[in-house]
Amino acid sequence: MTTDQQILDSLKDTSTKELAFRHLVAKYKERLYWHIRKILLNHDDTDDVLQNTFIKIWNGLDTFRAESSLFTWLYRIATNESITFLNQRKRRMMSGLTDENEYLIGNLESDTYFDGDEWQMLLQKAIATLPDKQRIVFNMKYFDEIKYEEMSEILETSVGALKASYHHAVKKVEEYVKLHESRIES
Amino acid sequence: MYEEKNTEPDFLKRTEKNPFRTPDHYFESLEDRVMANIEYQTQKKSSPTKLFQLLKPALGLVASFALVYLLVYYPINTFLLKDTALTSTDESTTSSQIDAYTLNFSLVDESTFISTLFSDDTDQTANINPDEFLAYLSTGMSDVEIYSEIQN
Repeated sequence: MTTDQQILDSLKDTSTKELAFRHLVAKYKERLYWHIRKILLNHDDTDDVLQNTFIKIWNGLDTFRAESSLFTWLYRIATNESITFLNQRKRRMMSGLTDENEYLIGNLESDTYFDGDEWQMLLQKAIATLPDKQRIVFNMKYFDEIKYEEMSEILETSVGALKASYHHAVKKVEEYVKLHESRIES
Repeated sequence: MYEEKNTEPDFLKRTEKNPFRTPDHYFESLEDRVMANIEYQTQKKSSPTKLFQLLKPALGLVASFALVYLLVYYPINTFLLKDTALTSTDESTTSSQIDAYTLNFSLVDESTFISTLFSDDTDQTANINPDEFLAYLSTGMSDVEIYSEIQN
């Protein structure tokens, strides 16, 4: 497997740039896909945003300064692209919706690539009701199991604030589940 | 303070973590699609139509201004200002005529006016001696003075 440093070195050389970028895509495509998918919940939207993310990465290669790790930089671009996409969609859909999170829940229910049971659907709906920042922190911690220190670099937020965000997110998810779980059990 | 081990409730351990899936073979062709997309974006940037695309808004703006000039500014300049000039000439003529009438009316003194009204002689002007008329003009008397002169 090619290391990040090898990829970065090859990206600097115009003759090997395209091949190196292919390696970069191959190495990070799944991690970035699942990160974006957890934010957007829908495969088609995720595919669009993932393509845009890689185009942004390609266009921004010259600006990457190796102060943070390649993984952190890629995650940051993917997160920003997802939030931008989500905000655009929410603005477009807001006129007909009373709650902005209804867009995400609708996205989840209409996604043909969701194989979860009722419990998983309930959990995803509960996560969808969280504010964007808390939702991203919850996903990164619970699903991707990213360390707070790494998360802090990606989201440019202090570790303490991230821990607090996760704590509040878990509490809200728990309350939502308790309120709605009777529908599943009955 | 916010340790996830203390806060994570049981229900979070109850389910499989990833309920999502992708279409079959989705990841296999991803690199090719990404590279094709990048190539397409690069071609779009260097396309010769780009100059026209860049100038398109500016050209549209120029065309709009030209249209506005032709439809609004030119007719205003050509027709409306000409009409205004004509109207103002008419007005000046009318006012000068009024001035003239006013002047003529003021020249008619009361005695002449009354005598003209009550006299049977319709050709009195013919009897006025030019020397008398010039003498009358040279006195520079006002209507009141003339009236008092007549009365005396």
